[in-house]
Amino acid sequence: MRPAVIFMLLVGALLLADGLLALHQRARRAENDAEAGVLRVTVSGLGLTDLCLATEARYTRHPAVSDPMAPFMDHPGALEHFPTGSFWARPEAWR
Amino acid sequence: MNGLSRQLNVIDYSLSSLWRRRFKSISVMVVFAAVIFLLASFQMTTKALTQAASRLLVMAPEITIQKMRAGRQEPIPVAYQKQLAGIFGIRRITPRVWGYYFNETHAANLTVIGVDPRLMPLGEKLASAIDTGRLPGDHEVVLGQGAEELLGGNRIISLFRPDLSLKPLTVVGRFRPATDLLTYDTLFLPPDDARDLFLLPPELATDLCVTVANPSEVDTIAKKIAALLPGTRVLTRGQIEKTYHAVFGWRSGFASVCLLTALTSFIIFAWDKASGLTPEERREIGILKIVGWQTADVILLRFWEGVIVALLSFVAGYTLAYVHVAFFDAGLFRPIMLGWSVLHPRLRLSPGVELSDVLLVLCLTVVPYLAATVVPAWRAAIIRADSALN
Repeated sequence: MRPAVIFMLLVGALLLADGLLALHQRARRAENDAEAGVLRVTVSGLGLTDLCLATEARYTRHPAVSDPMAPFMDHPGALEHFPTGSFWARPEAWR
Repeated sequence: MNGLSRQLNVIDYSLSSLWRRRFKSISVMVVFAAVIFLLASFQMTTKALTQAASRLLVMAPEITIQKMRAGRQEPIPVAYQKQLAGIFGIRRITPRVWGYYFNETHAANLTVIGVDPRLMPLGEKLASAIDTGRLPGDHEVVLGQGAEELLGGNRIISLFRPDLSLKPLTVVGRFRPATDLLTYDTLFLPPDDARDLFLLPPELATDLCVTVANPSEVDTIAKKIAALLPGTRVLTRGQIEKTYHAVFGWRSGFASVCLLTALTSFIIFAWDKASGLTPEERREIGILKIVGWQTADVILLRFWEGVIVALLSFVAGYTLAYVHVAFFDAGLFRPIMLGWSVLHPRLRLSPGVELSDVLLVLCLTVVPYLAATVVPAWRAAIIRADSALN
């Protein structure tokens, strides 16, 4: 078998795996859509404003309702010391 | 010889050539695939989280009012509701009591939410979010999955008030695992019990949630509230959604510093590998020239070598990135995303791959790689046959 054919078979196998993953993505999305109703009820019923991702500091647990300068306000001259604080983008006015 | 057959022959030769230098080729492919894997994983993770935030937080309170003093949030007087009674368009104002409880045994932060669901939109359906049990009554609590695991699954839990006296609560339910992304660290209890836990007087609340009759009037009503209540911060649902786009944006410090550094290192690596012609390679090109190959043919050979390496690395890197995000919850990024958090919620990310995302990663990786190898390819192609064989 010539090398070009082997290469194409290899690429084909990878693309086939990608096809299977695309099916997985559709199934996962369908699951998420089925759960969306309960999640929306939870958000609305409890009045939630944030996702539960990083629970290490109040401003990373609830970034939407924290002050923009919250990471630096623990004491005058404070530096950001929580790892998840690195996910903060610059304030919009600076872009 | 037609064009297709010529290209196939060149591809055959390129593959044989790559296989002869397999250690070098495989090392380039592994590093290239790793860079693509990192970029694509980060892109998929941030996109999945941003989409989840947009999808879920569309039901966040339309307006949230917080009281500020000296740049910090402080409890808001419940009596502020009366001052807002005259604003036309407000359907309901609900005081909420919420805050954080630090569990010293496990060094974990828990979120305590005290709200009366009967006063919240869709609150009458909130029982559907509870897996086992029911909504909490007086001195009762419903726990998120993580909070329950942390507190040991006891039926009665005791929490410390600020004065270190104990407040016992009966666990009457647990939130469904499907809501982990919202409630994993949550203790949900009636507002009066939350007040008691935080020793907050009845005339104060943490914030006020405002429900508006017509969603298109939210911004106007928010401005009226801000004018009526100086010293407060008025947050709208739109601002909350915007925060999440900013938090997980590509411009965040982590993404731009780490990933672009990795990409630049790879381009330097690719340039170095492609430009360093070994004596064997020079000799090979010399022989090809002697047997009749033109400069254009050698450039075509180098082009196909670049395309084969880039294509295989791209497909492998992108596929692994999907597996990493969808099946392993972006495990490599979790320490950065969760930091020093003790509770690690299950994310169940649903990375949506769209053509624009694939093209973005392709442009950020494959195009710089091919650009970095084009000059070395040309330099290799213009070697004189006699000088290469000497």
